[in-house]
Amino acid sequence: MVTITNAHNDVIHDAILDYYGKRLATCSSDKTIKIFEVEGDSHKLVETLIGHEGPVWRVDWAHPKFGTILASCSYDGKVIIWREEGGKWAQIAVHAVHSASVNSIQWAPHEYGVMLLCGSSDGKISVVEFKENGAVAPIVFDAHTIGVNSVCWAPATIQEEAAPAGEGNVTVQKELRRFVSGGADNLVKIWKYDAAAQTYNLEDTLDGHSDWVRDVAWSPSVLLRSYIASVSQDKTCVIWTQDKDNGAWKKTLLQEDKFPDVLWRASWSLSGNILALSGGDNKVTLWKENLEGTWEPAGEVEQ
Amino acid sequence: MSYIGSVSTPYESLTFGNSLSLKVEGGFNAVSINPSGRDVVLAGRQGLYIIDLDDPFRPPRWLHHKMPWQVADVQWSPHPAKPHWIVSTSNQKAIIWNLNKPSSNAIEYALHGHSRAITDINFNSQHPDILATCSIDTYVHAWDMRSPHRPFYTTSSWRSSASQVKWNFKDSNILASSHGNDVFIWDLRHGSTPLHKLTGHNSGVNSIDFSRFEENKIMSSSNDGTVKFWDLSKEEKCQQAITTEFPIWRGRYLPFGHGYCVMPMIGGNNSVYLMDLDVYDEEKELENPESRIEKLKPVQTFKGHSDRVIDFLWRSRHSYDSNIDDREFQLITWSLDSDLRLWPVTEDVYAKVNFERNKRLEEKLPSYEYMTYNREVGTETSSENRDTGYKRLKEKFVTNSGLQKGTNVSHIDWLSGVKMNRRDSTDDLFEDSKLQNLGEEVSALGRKFPKVVFEKISVSTGELTLTLNGPWVEDNPDEYIFLRIAVKFPQTYPAKGTAPRFMIEENDKLKRTKEQEILAMLKEIGTKYTDQNQYCLEPCLRFLLGEAVNLDDIGTIDDQPLLNFDIADHIGFEEFSSVSDEENDSHIIESSSSDSGSDLAKDPFGEQSELKDSFGRNTAFDSTPIPNQCGAFWTPTGQLLCFFPAESKLDKITHKNLKLTQKALNHRHRNRKQEPHEIFAESNITETDEKPKRYVDTLSANGTSNADGSDSSEEEVSSSDSFDSFANDWNDIIGNDIVVRTKLPMLYNSVTKKLGSLPAESVAGESTKKVKNIIIQKDFHELIPDDKSLALEYEVMGELPEDMARHNALVAERHGYLEISHCWQILSDLLLGERNNDPYTLIWDNHPMCIQWFVKETLKYFELENNLQMLATLCCVLASPRKTDRKSYDDLEDIPKVVENIITFQDSESPPDSRNIDTVSLFSNSNTIGQGSHEQYRLPKFSKSTEAISIRSGERHSSLHPITSNGRISSSKLTQRNKRLSNNSSQQQQQQYLQRSTSQSRMPSIKIELIGDEILEVAKNPNREILDPSEVGRFKKYVYQYAKLLFQWGLPIERAQILKVSLEALSTDHTSKKFNTSGSGTTERNELNSVAVCWLGNTSGTLIFRSCSYCNLRVKGDAFICGNCQHVLHAKCARQWWTVGDECPSGCGCSCPNLFDVR
Repeated sequence: MVTITNAHNDVIHDAILDYYGKRLATCSSDKTIKIFEVEGDSHKLVETLIGHEGPVWRVDWAHPKFGTILASCSYDGKVIIWREEGGKWAQIAVHAVHSASVNSIQWAPHEYGVMLLCGSSDGKISVVEFKENGAVAPIVFDAHTIGVNSVCWAPATIQEEAAPAGEGNVTVQKELRRFVSGGADNLVKIWKYDAAAQTYNLEDTLDGHSDWVRDVAWSPSVLLRSYIASVSQDKTCVIWTQDKDNGAWKKTLLQEDKFPDVLWRASWSLSGNILALSGGDNKVTLWKENLEGTWEPAGEVEQ
Repeated sequence: MSYIGSVSTPYESLTFGNSLSLKVEGGFNAVSINPSGRDVVLAGRQGLYIIDLDDPFRPPRWLHHKMPWQVADVQWSPHPAKPHWIVSTSNQKAIIWNLNKPSSNAIEYALHGHSRAITDINFNSQHPDILATCSIDTYVHAWDMRSPHRPFYTTSSWRSSASQVKWNFKDSNILASSHGNDVFIWDLRHGSTPLHKLTGHNSGVNSIDFSRFEENKIMSSSNDGTVKFWDLSKEEKCQQAITTEFPIWRGRYLPFGHGYCVMPMIGGNNSVYLMDLDVYDEEKELENPESRIEKLKPVQTFKGHSDRVIDFLWRSRHSYDSNIDDREFQLITWSLDSDLRLWPVTEDVYAKVNFERNKRLEEKLPSYEYMTYNREVGTETSSENRDTGYKRLKEKFVTNSGLQKGTNVSHIDWLSGVKMNRRDSTDDLFEDSKLQNLGEEVSALGRKFPKVVFEKISVSTGELTLTLNGPWVEDNPDEYIFLRIAVKFPQTYPAKGTAPRFMIEENDKLKRTKEQEILAMLKEIGTKYTDQNQYCLEPCLRFLLGEAVNLDDIGTIDDQPLLNFDIADHIGFEEFSSVSDEENDSHIIESSSSDSGSDLAKDPFGEQSELKDSFGRNTAFDSTPIPNQCGAFWTPTGQLLCFFPAESKLDKITHKNLKLTQKALNHRHRNRKQEPHEIFAESNITETDEKPKRYVDTLSANGTSNADGSDSSEEEVSSSDSFDSFANDWNDIIGNDIVVRTKLPMLYNSVTKKLGSLPAESVAGESTKKVKNIIIQKDFHELIPDDKSLALEYEVMGELPEDMARHNALVAERHGYLEISHCWQILSDLLLGERNNDPYTLIWDNHPMCIQWFVKETLKYFELENNLQMLATLCCVLASPRKTDRKSYDDLEDIPKVVENIITFQDSESPPDSRNIDTVSLFSNSNTIGQGSHEQYRLPKFSKSTEAISIRSGERHSSLHPITSNGRISSSKLTQRNKRLSNNSSQQQQQQYLQRSTSQSRMPSIKIELIGDEILEVAKNPNREILDPSEVGRFKKYVYQYAKLLFQWGLPIERAQILKVSLEALSTDHTSKKFNTSGSGTTERNELNSVAVCWLGNTSGTLIFRSCSYCNLRVKGDAFICGNCQHVLHAKCARQWWTVGDECPSGCGCSCPNLFDVR
């Protein structure tokens, strides 16, 4: 069990392991990002990345097929892409499309290519694709009125849709790119990619909170249905489920009572659909859906 | 507001006649006043508080006397001879305090005579040494202080406990006491027999009072809501009664005029009612000797408390040594809401109660020395206390400072509770939200700037001494030096021209020039503000702490929240100009200690009008939420990576205490109607439902809030960590944490005890470096059903599925997954069973455990369990064997699944055979090459369709049970058939049999309906599909996801196996069965075609393997790629394909050979 203390001089806002679980990236209010190599119980600081002018909110590793790439977003409104080459880290791109703090970023599933999704407090979401020829094609659109607090891609799975037109039972494959965003207007919105218009259309708006939505997470394991967890400042966590790909979203409160404090982050396990929630009371709680369909606590971590 | 140094006559008092409100926390239950009207004593479980009414900003003097019992009553001796005596109760003892003695040793006598708790005490109005006590033990004792060891007079009512005792004002031998519903009048000379017994009340009497002017008049108030007036010279019947709608707690005559005051126990709007007493009309009296009962008609109501009033008293002043009665009065009330209020009494009230001012007096009013006992008496060297004996060891070398800190009420806290209004202001002025005076300003600032220590506060003289750390070293703007500053406020502050004078104590670190600079600036700030009649201490403090103070926007200084859109419109860019860069670099923050790495993005929020932050963004609109400090993230192997901000033990305790005190504060804040400094308070002492949401709020709140119970400030507590020394910490936390120095001294004491041990350990211990944040990884992989070790050992590719299943069962068992192991075992058994027997024998034997049903249920179960691994492996294992069977059916046409078979038997007239054929021929079927012994003809082929074919219904039919049961029986005969027989053939058998039987028996038309049920389906379709083909899409999804998971676990080989198996098994069905081979169905494989494999550690490039569109195997080299559609084929496959087809085998529609040379 790895324990790293005092990684940063200031509060840590995000910590994420890379695809293989070998490297850990952490970011903090001290405007730096630190990369650690984690092996069993030991850890070693590999690099400290400086470049942001404000507290760094989130970091995300890209799929290793593109290289060792890390994206970070900060209060200063910029998203910086870093890459390690030959043991050395350098900035390879800066995405400064937003005019306010960028609160959340996530790399798209690798099947879509090198694409980054960003949500910012200026109310806009931008999807930037870094093409092979070096071109950057950002798609920017308004999402939530007061500010976007969190964005999350849907997992890329094979989607099937039965085409209604003749030919018997033809199932047509369609690539269904979707993501979910949560904002300061208390709403959770689902967006779908429209290849024809090359933009993202609002597919669904889910209203289930009475205060700012702090984090949204789309479960990566899609078995029977899709799950989205949204946590909010109103101390509740709502699980949204959708049975088919274009069915209606059903709202389920994780638990009937409110949590003791505001909730900040939600994270699904990569398989098994276990939800980890963390909030203002500095406790991480784990939740699992039981066979009846209700959520029950499955553990907690306290420092 | 004028401040006078000392008050020597009551006419110089500032507060007389004004309305004043003091908040005194601490659970005080009884109040009394100095006869001179200068001091008020409050008694409670902690002891006594002496409050100087003429200097309400001074914290009270606290005489400690901790006890678990509530104080029932307290009285200040009304005699001018003993101005320093106070008597209070302590359960069954009465305690005489001498205020001339030091607070720690002020108890002069303890009168022990009762056996139960004392309920009331009363000094004799004429003899300074005599007092009476009464108690629940029904006894009334009268004591003489000259020999205090036992009472000199004792009496009792024997039956009910006494609630009040009062001496007669005129005749000092008479005393009255109330027991239960009755009032007894006693005479000291008369022994234990009461002179009078006044009955008449229906409920307990709570209060009795003799008239001050007439010897025989007494009034009593009771729980039944009535006030009764008695005349002792007349018979023992109540003379007059007044009813109210509430039970009365206290009812007393007014000390002036002709009236009385009552106070409810509950209800009654928590007010005090003043009534006047009708002048007796003798004639009326004679007419109607019965007591007159009237309703309460208050002349004046003193309303304003938010909770019930516990007691009230009158404060009076008069000129001494005169024969004129020119007394003025003020009402003082003490309520359960911890508010001590002084109410002005206006002239008309006097008139209403017939108080004639300036009347000639017969005897002079006693003159009292107008001094206050609020000041602490110096420690006496001699600790003689003859009466109480040798009690305490007096330590002469113990400094006062230690005692002071612990024994005195926090000054800042006290200050914040004081509210004073001018005489001419309305009663509602308590609701005003502006600062009223320096005291309030100081207390508000004391809260706002926790790191500034107010060493000395003397509001009456306008002097302050404060200490803080400010960045005033010339060469190094980062360094903070300690400054002690004395401030003197002129009396008319904050009027124009009354800028306060600052004096900085000598400091060797502060250079002369710098000092001048500071002073000049302070003066400028001061004058600017006071010129506009505003309080200037705050900006001065900010300046001293190192912030930029913008003097131009004084007009807009209002207690407005940050989100001020009006101001936002007027922001000019030059506003935040010069300060920003340096400030940013030098880490200037509002709090004085150096925080490392604290939010640089935070702009010095010097002015509230300055709303842009360092990024030029308008923070009024900034909706960035507060950053999270803790979070968790799953790793692919089921570990949970969590990070937290760390709290050191110290912080934890303060945090806990802060939470407790927060509750007290919350309670108090809620009780306040409208605080003058609420605006400050609100942004700082955030109640739990008002926590700052936005990040920018925390930036400012970080500096301004003390570490109170809200979590946002926890950031500050935990991040403000790199203190220079622990001692500094200690001071900061204890000294500045006003909240910790609570009004509940007991709590504070326990805090000191706990924290007291900490400095020792940590200073003695290693480094003072505190843990700031922690990242932990915790193993939760048991929650996740997928296991990497299982993945390693599972077998998915193999010949016989049952072997694989058995192997997997063993693997699972080895790893302890018994449930999964069982599942595999069952599956293996079933598969085994299936293989060995032909379908017909199997059908019935296995029907309850039909494999298809079992598989469905298993899949459903694992879906619910979210066990992706099992799902995917099951699919693969079950999908693979069909390949072998499939092949033989390649040339077969579709096998319809659901068939309704209705056997209709026509009339026997019709030739059975032809009918047979007809009917039989109508059956849909598969083209089976029957091998049954009874098979004689081939069945014609029918067009394939997947829908149920319904056979024409017969004209006549009658249900024939024997036939249907025959059907069943006959199918048991089918068990001998070869597997390859189709259902139809069995039906044919059956039918033939029936036919024979029917032809023989010549039955009428029979209609046999065999609605396709599962069993027959199964029998019909020997390659029964274990996995429901319509769900293939789902299975593929599972496999795909599982493949991803395997990849993440670093098991590419296993992943490849899975994919291969699934691709072949799952996709070939579809492509061959459902789709035209022109290949629209193969588009589903697009996703799986480009399988990117990344070798661990190889980050420089990625190898992308494509699968051949023809055979779906990996293409390594020697491939044909169509330039147009980029689809890959093996060279061999390409050769094969292009001889046959014209279009791209992947189904993209591109006609590759036409575009490229294919050879």
